Amino acid sequence: MNEHTPIYTAPEEQVAWMGTDPIPAKAYYDPEWFELERRAIFMRTWLEVGHVCELPEPGTWIRRELEFAQASILIVRGKDGQIRAFYNACTHRGTQLVEEESGKGTNFLCPYHFWNFGDDGRLVAAPDFNRFALTKEDCKIPKVSVDTCAGLIFVNLDPAPKQTLREFLGDFADRLETLPVARATTFHEYCYDIDANWKITYDNFQENYHLRHVHGRTGIATVHADNLYGYPTGYTFHGKHRTQTIWSNPEPQIKPMQGYNFGLAAKIGMEQGIIGGPEDRTYFAVFPSLFIIGTPIQHFSHKVYPISATRSRGVFRVYWIGEGDTATKRYAREYALAGIRDIHTEDVNIINRAQKGLLSGAIKNVHFMSMEGLCRHLYQQVVAEVEAYRNESQPAGERA
Amino acid sequence: MSNQLPDGYAVLEPFVDYWAVSGTANRDQRRSDSTPAQRNAFYAIAKDLVPQALAQLDAKPIAELDDKERRLLDLLLSFTHVTHAVEMLTDGEARHAKFRKEMRITRQPAE
Ligand code: FES
Ligand SMILES: [Fe+2]
Repeated sequence: MNEHTPIYTAPEEQVAWMGTDPIPAKAYYDPEWFELERRAIFMRTWLEVGHVCELPEPGTWIRRELEFAQASILIVRGKDGQIRAFYNACTHRGTQLVEEESGKGTNFLCPYHFWNFGDDGRLVAAPDFNRFALTKEDCKIPKVSVDTCAGLIFVNLDPAPKQTLREFLGDFADRLETLPVARATTFHEYCYDIDANWKITYDNFQENYHLRHVHGRTGIATVHADNLYGYPTGYTFHGKHRTQTIWSNPEPQIKPMQGYNFGLAAKIGMEQGIIGGPEDRTYFAVFPSLFIIGTPIQHFSHKVYPISATRSRGVFRVYWIGEGDTATKRYAREYALAGIRDIHTEDVNIINRAQKGLLSGAIKNVHFMSMEGLCRHLYQQVVAEVEAYRNESQPAGERA
Repeated sequence: MSNQLPDGYAVLEPFVDYWAVSGTANRDQRRSDSTPAQRNAFYAIAKDLVPQALAQLDAKPIAELDDKERRLLDLLLSFTHVTHAVEMLTDGEARHAKFRKEMRITRQPAE
């Protein structure tokens, strides 16, 4: 009699070190806990907010809203080619300088009294300025720390960040640089607003336990009798960050045009030299709330922005290299984009319900099984950051 | 109504008015607003013509396509959306369409 040798084994041992404790549900809806996360994490961590292809030439700029900080940020590629960031706020009386999402120009003119700022946030001209008891140097707009990795633009609202972006990313920095996103020149973007905590939202995208139920139709190619949930083949942990390695189903059920269309995308990917890279199956989870997937077809990033304890905003981008300048390229991209958006649509729908069930407070704990280990890791990292922040902000004598 | 496409695609003419629209978000909207019968008919007839149509359109850069070719391309791009509905979502498409509108397409690199 032939014994069936399973083609998949779950990497249980890689997550065992985190334990199995229940997780306090309050961390997913309590406004006081959210306020601690906001201060301990979001106000002083490197956060991805865009891509250098949005600033293709000197004098281009983008505006980004960070609701958790009530901050509007301008990210500018100056005449010298350098990328800088500063608050979208006039130093005269605080008026927002621009309303547009992006633009071109090396000066920012405040519409109120016409103070005029340069591409580095310096005040260059102001009408009747000698009536102020100020010098122009006093009137520079507060800067925001900004840096890039793999083409992705990160900002840090800490006036004096404790780490550089490279230090923060650790060995992820070089690995991200190998991804197609580092060479991307354009992208599709789709966004959602959701009545859910940022961790509930984010966690959905770092466990596959839901795959079979939520993506029963769209995710059929990832299901196999030996791996019914499409669990990953491995997990790794890098300080606050983590990865999973996506399992490749050797016997996927593929529909006729699906197979044909992905064949076209694979051919284009081969021509661009983006297929077969070392991170092809790596799904990067960058603390606190960024994902970037290594797969070269449907190569997406996903950022979850917290707004309140129970409200978030998500931004997906599917990155492309070069213009879609032929019919086949355009067609393959449109198919890939529509498919991954379909799957993400299903996710967002279920997350809404996950949050609603917690709000009464009746559920005291939530539970993560071994294959939800990345969710547990995020929770543990968040707790560690909040603890560190509490210790810093308490007078030495009161510390536990 | 007739003769809106390059020669050889007469069987696709009935689909032009509804499906040949520009922009990813508009094409997604057509998918969401369509009936199963509309999608199934389009899928059944278009799927075998895709390789030939792409090969023909690839002969020129997109910027140089004439109006009929451009219409054929728009039709093919809408067809990618329809493919997801017909092959993957099947009878779950109507429910899915309701959620899908919450996932706003905010940037499309090319029309
Ligand atoms: S508030 Fe900007 S010039 Fe007065
Ligand atoms: Fe999912």
